[in-house]
Amino acid sequence: MFSLAWRGVRFNIGRYVATLVAIMTGVAFFAASGFVADRVISALEGDVDRQYGNVEAAVVVDTSGDASPEAAYRLRIDGDSADAIAALPEVEAVAGDLTGVVAFLDDDGSAVSSEATGRLWIVDDALNTVDIVEGAAPVAAGEIAVDRGLADDENLAVGDSTTVLTSAGPFEATVTGITRFGEADSQDSGGTVSLPAATAFDWLNSGQVEYTALYLRGTVGQTELRDAVAPLAPAGFTAQTGDEFRDDKRVEVGGIGRLLKRALQFFSVLALLVGGFVIYNTFNVIVAQRMRELAVLAAIGATPKQLKRSLRFEGLVIGIIGSALGVLAGFALTFGMIAVLEQVGVALPGSGLEVAPATVIWAMLFGTLITLLSVMLPARQAGRAEPIEALRQAEASTVSVGKVRTIVSVGLVAVGAVGMLIGGGAAVIGISGIVLFVGVIVCGPFIAVAGSALMRPLLRGFGLEGRLAADNTARNPHRTATTSNALLIGVFLVTFVSVAGTSVRDYAVAEINALSTADFVIESTGGTVDDTLIADLQAVQGVEAVTPFRREAVTLNIEGTESSTNLSTGDIDALRAAAGIDLEEGSFDDLGTGTVLLAAGQFDSAAVGSTATFTNSVGESVDLEVVGIIGFTLDSMVTGSITDVATFDGFVGETAPTVAFIKTVSGAQSDTRDEIERITKLRPDIALNEGNQLGRIIGAVFDFIINAVNGLLLMSVVIALIGIVNTLTLSIIERRRELGLLRVMGMVDRRVRRMVRIEAVVIAALGTVSGIVLGTFAGFAMISAIDRLSDADIGISIPPVLIGVVLVVGVGLGLLAALIPAQRSTRLDVLEAISST
Amino acid sequence: MSTDLGAARAVDAVKTYGKGDAAVHALAGVTVSFPTSRFTAIMGPSGSGKSTLMQCVAGLDRLTTGQTFIGDVELSKLDKTQLTLLRRDRLGFIFQQYNLIPTLTAKENILLPLTLAGREPDQAWFDSIIQTVGLGSRLGNRPSQLSGGQQQRVAVARALVSKPQIVFADEPTGALDSRTGVEILSFMRRMVDEAGQTIVMVTHDPHAASYADNVLFLADGRITDEMQNPTAELVLDRMKKFEV
Repeated sequence: MFSLAWRGVRFNIGRYVATLVAIMTGVAFFAASGFVADRVISALEGDVDRQYGNVEAAVVVDTSGDASPEAAYRLRIDGDSADAIAALPEVEAVAGDLTGVVAFLDDDGSAVSSEATGRLWIVDDALNTVDIVEGAAPVAAGEIAVDRGLADDENLAVGDSTTVLTSAGPFEATVTGITRFGEADSQDSGGTVSLPAATAFDWLNSGQVEYTALYLRGTVGQTELRDAVAPLAPAGFTAQTGDEFRDDKRVEVGGIGRLLKRALQFFSVLALLVGGFVIYNTFNVIVAQRMRELAVLAAIGATPKQLKRSLRFEGLVIGIIGSALGVLAGFALTFGMIAVLEQVGVALPGSGLEVAPATVIWAMLFGTLITLLSVMLPARQAGRAEPIEALRQAEASTVSVGKVRTIVSVGLVAVGAVGMLIGGGAAVIGISGIVLFVGVIVCGPFIAVAGSALMRPLLRGFGLEGRLAADNTARNPHRTATTSNALLIGVFLVTFVSVAGTSVRDYAVAEINALSTADFVIESTGGTVDDTLIADLQAVQGVEAVTPFRREAVTLNIEGTESSTNLSTGDIDALRAAAGIDLEEGSFDDLGTGTVLLAAGQFDSAAVGSTATFTNSVGESVDLEVVGIIGFTLDSMVTGSITDVATFDGFVGETAPTVAFIKTVSGAQSDTRDEIERITKLRPDIALNEGNQLGRIIGAVFDFIINAVNGLLLMSVVIALIGIVNTLTLSIIERRRELGLLRVMGMVDRRVRRMVRIEAVVIAALGTVSGIVLGTFAGFAMISAIDRLSDADIGISIPPVLIGVVLVVGVGLGLLAALIPAQRSTRLDVLEAISST
Repeated sequence: MSTDLGAARAVDAVKTYGKGDAAVHALAGVTVSFPTSRFTAIMGPSGSGKSTLMQCVAGLDRLTTGQTFIGDVELSKLDKTQLTLLRRDRLGFIFQQYNLIPTLTAKENILLPLTLAGREPDQAWFDSIIQTVGLGSRLGNRPSQLSGGQQQRVAVARALVSKPQIVFADEPTGALDSRTGVEILSFMRRMVDEAGQTIVMVTHDPHAASYADNVLFLADGRITDEMQNPTAELVLDRMKKFEV
């Protein structure tokens, strides 16, 4: 029986081409995304070993506690603690980690390479992450080393002078060396500028001798070293062995790669599932066409079991061949993807291919399994071959839609749709959505019949070809449905993601924009908003007021509930004038020593008169009486709770302002904006945000996600396209006599081909239109469910352009898919066509 | 219509399959004319070239050498599209396998050549054909709902509806029981007598051939004999002579 199956594959290889291509494409996507993601992961993890390979112990921020990320970000190891650790007999060498944003000043006075990272130069060779490839290490004040990439970009050579912009202002510097980071130019994405201890603290950290982490080499074992250092680690920090540290770091940096891998592979598996429809269709048609052969086998004594097994074995062979070809194609696709990315300027980390055996094995397994599953039903059909079929005339038959299917599918659609519209919980709505989706898939043959009936008047314009094409789509509704369903899945998801995503985006952006009052917000990372900067900004035409204020990241505790927030202080009247700071409760006049205006949001229960406990990053805390509740706005998110200056000084210390609101006169936005931007660019530590910027960023993030998901869904659409090619090609083989007759009767080849094209377009339109309808409905139901279950009021936004594009692309794909079958439809000689059986 | 030359003819028609020693001459130089308004039957044993002759004259296949004409149009000078249009506008076909389009109703199948040409049917002519073949109540049915005989009647009506210059029939009764076959043949006979239709029919059935005005006998790609006003007995005798 196996040799029979093998021969079945060999003699039908023409019919299997599309199936093989479908499996191949899906598996190739899967394998390629694995290869690319593995390369990224291994490159990122490799960086960890390169950067921290010689670290035997590390003192790093303790992330196991519940300190907020922002508080952790501000934690520093003071110089004294660092010295104490360095003095331990177990410690051989210490490297302190300190970074800050730096930039270079261009000849015309604007900032360039503003994303560069300034790093404290590590003197210990083993702990240093970079190598000097030219010149010497920076030692004295005013000396710097730059990485190879920056040197090339900025035309810097050893001995050159340049101006470095830092949070402490511009400094003249001389380049003493060029560095490299392993095989890459730089360890930081925007370039690395190495600074000697003589200047690093002044330029990057307001003169304070502090470190974000310490990396150690010891004279003893890793564990012993860690245990010796641990008691000296300052509050909020923990000591780790080199291995523990590297493991954590690897998870941290590899995380993005793993996320990428999972997302890519999810979409590849989806594409493979769509491929399952194509495979199922092919085998169904093949069984129908081979019924006679199967019946002869049955007549001479093949048992149904043997027939089934023979067909399954064919599926297995095809699955393995297709998957193996797919893995090979995956290699090619990976190189293609990397090349394309490089063309558009995205350099993936790492080099070459990272071929993990797991990726290859999973790809082979998925491809083969899906093929095998898709062949199960057709194989059962083959097993049912009766000897009598051998005597029957094999005709391209017309199949009708069964009653059971009708009832089941209508039921599923109804239950799913109603459930989505009135469901009272996420689970009910989710399950209803799946029920609806399955219902529509099962409903496919129905849609095919109804769709072709609906399109008939439209197609009448194409004359007889249109008429026959419409008939042909309704002729075997199951086959048409399976074909268009493959497209439906992709189109459904594209529309659903677009409709739901656009609606949520529009809502979020509108809500956020409604909350903002200040025109601009500037924030310094590592530096301060000093008087010179304020004066410069005040001088800009169109700026009405610059309102600086002092801010500290704190943990807030009210009646046992903790949250991370900010505590600010400044000129209350000025803040009220510049930004949307208003009280919902209480009075500004009551603000005095020991009191606070609480930012609303996290504490619905907080009321005037209650006590709030604030804790700063070093663990000191203070109890303040709540005298007012600030209404929630974007600006209040920037300030957090507000206290008076004396209280702030007592709790945090006499710090300089790090944040400022800028209010502009109305109507002067564009020029003013450019000027403000020019000034703030000269200070790399200053981030400039427009009042409506958050809205724009959120809008952009949504757009990116919508587009990325839609882009990834293209994979499944490509396979659906192969499905249309497949179905039509097989149908044409089946109907060659009929087509021959039409040509004998006087239908010229051009018209025959047009008939095939119309049929392709009808199938594509069926899938596209039902996908759009279903996707729009699901998007609508999802949004209304969110509205119903929460107090949000999201309006439905249907993106007309995108839906138009989907429709045009869907139908266009139909035309594209028809190219090969249309050509084949008239390839046979007329006589051969009519005499074939 | 030029009656001297006939409705269709072949001159020195040669059709060869294969090359060199393996070459098979399906037609080995046939010159023949099919007269207008006459019913001509082509007979011969399997492999005699009778179907090939009909297919070449009907523009379904091309000769290796020689010429075929429909009226005064030489077919070898036409390209594929011109041939197709010629078939559509001037020829009718009846096949052994009824070859109806399964998705079209009987009426739509009958009107197919006219629909393809974008012409309106001559209602009186259509009605008279339908009446003669006796399909009146079956016009709305699809082929799968019709018996073999009914399907062949649809095919005959389809071949005639566009008033073609010639109808080519390839074993039109081959798949029918004898009674239905007789009906179809009588009908074809009547169309020649009453409407002056030209019919060329390929058959191996002497009884079918007896409905023709004259019978051409083919053997090994050549015309070996011709018989006017045949009867089934005469034809059978002649056929037996070939066998010996």
